[in-house]
Amino acid sequence: MTPLEILSATVLGQPTPRVPIFCNVLDQGARALNMFPEEYYSKGEYVAEGQLKMLKHYGHDNVWSASYVGKEAQLLGCKEILFANNGVPNVADFVLKSWDDIEKFEIPEDITQHYHWQSTDECLKILHQEVGATHPICAYVTAATSLPVILMGMDKWIELVIAGPTDLRDLLVKKCSDFVQQQIAAYRTAGANVIIYANPFATTYFLPKKLIVNWSMPWMQHDLKDGIDNIVFYGGMAPINAVTEMVVDKLNVNIFYPAPEDDLIESKRLIKPGNGLTSGVIDDIKMIHWSQEQIRNEVKRIMDLGKPGGHFLFGTGFMPMAIPEENIIAMFEAAFEYGRHE
Amino acid sequence: MFESYIEDYNEAVYEIDKESAIEVVERALQEGVTPEQVVFDIIIPSIETMMAEIVINADTNLAQHFMTAQIAAEVTEKMLAKFKVPPEIIGRVVFGSSHGDLHSLGKRIVIGCLKSMMVDVLDLGVNIKAEDFVNAAVEQDAQVIAISSMMVHTATGEEGSSRVRSLLKERNLESKIKLVVGGAPFRFDHELYTKVGADSWAADGVSAAKMIKELILEVKAQ
Repeated sequence: MTPLEILSATVLGQPTPRVPIFCNVLDQGARALNMFPEEYYSKGEYVAEGQLKMLKHYGHDNVWSASYVGKEAQLLGCKEILFANNGVPNVADFVLKSWDDIEKFEIPEDITQHYHWQSTDECLKILHQEVGATHPICAYVTAATSLPVILMGMDKWIELVIAGPTDLRDLLVKKCSDFVQQQIAAYRTAGANVIIYANPFATTYFLPKKLIVNWSMPWMQHDLKDGIDNIVFYGGMAPINAVTEMVVDKLNVNIFYPAPEDDLIESKRLIKPGNGLTSGVIDDIKMIHWSQEQIRNEVKRIMDLGKPGGHFLFGTGFMPMAIPEENIIAMFEAAFEYGRHE
Repeated sequence: MFESYIEDYNEAVYEIDKESAIEVVERALQEGVTPEQVVFDIIIPSIETMMAEIVINADTNLAQHFMTAQIAAEVTEKMLAKFKVPPEIIGRVVFGSSHGDLHSLGKRIVIGCLKSMMVDVLDLGVNIKAEDFVNAAVEQDAQVIAISSMMVHTATGEEGSSRVRSLLKERNLESKIKLVVGGAPFRFDHELYTKVGADSWAADGVSAAKMIKELILEVKAQ
């Protein structure tokens, strides 16, 4: 079976030779090409080449479109990204300097014509051509209720959400939600077949449950009004078990990417029977200092919990560049070994 | 009567209702409660209640922590201006986000709580070099350097708290200045703080303020 077939069969609960193994080795692709992240992300062809090299090297199941923190901000007018040589980039220029800027803030009419979309498009075209028939191609979309974080900063956004004028807050979210709809459509057209839909502002780590029910969920419905095919709900590494039932019930989304802190047995219990899956995610920050033996043990623990009953995928978080290569290899070897179905 | 102010204020903070929290304080002042009582008997106990709540109730959230700190800092600042005698400052902390890191939320939560707990804070801002942390701590006679990092490479990088530790060692300041860290990477790996040379860490901003206060008292007791 191809990785794409393994993923589809896993969602349907059909027999597969092993658990799907997803990994985010996006930044490691830069190292494989002997590039710093700034150069690597400047062209879609570099990211595609890096991703394909990673796929060949580790043999995992998925690739990623050209994406980094701040890419969405650039599509919405951000002029400066602070790249690092050893990690993920920061947004260095907030599009919305104050709440007063919200009124005149505009989203692009067609993001596919935007300068910053071109590298994404180029990357996806290459990936689609090379592995589109056999491998899941992932794209990352930030939900409308979380997107303002990269437009104005987390603190200003929380202040507006919690204590600011609700009409202004919702005006901004409406604009962001229209952008999210465009982005999902553009990713699908360009060849992405797995959309990681990230919404920390729909998790109880960030907000009270009441606000999630009354505010986040309706906006998520708006974000996803064109369909939930291949949508994966993700809390941006915040735990999601407390909202999973709500997401299933209100959005009908049944594919989840929890945080390492989430109880995996509970994550599995919460998905709706039938089509769907949840993921066992390794705490890859610990992988920086763990021994290879510790990594193998953790992969085994996750697989032992997740495999029974199927509908299960093994995955990673952001995979910091500081993780030693031999630790990444140890993780993959263990994942392929312990992820086999008897 | 006084108990009702505490109860109402705590409820407003827990519900993240800034307006109601401020109303409770104004009502208390109008009814004869002193600004000193507001800070020491309502605001500080409220932060301590939130700290206890975090330990026993995993359902508290980042928005509550942030707004607790902001409300507490705002009310305290207003009350301090009305104090008959300026309050005694417990100690001083130099605070900033690590080199290459532009995030500020965690920093603002901790600073808000510290200010309400009578700790003087020098906020250096974001993207701060290791040398600047140490120089500022020496110049300001601070007992603690606090570094916030939201990303793994800024938490563990050579220009972050590891470098601050080296500088403290080189300058023989380790017993006079304690180094604490916080931010998302430390929440995922609870041992990470030791790898970057910090003396301590905290999982959330409200608990961090308590930990910093204890370290200040420890240094001052030497």
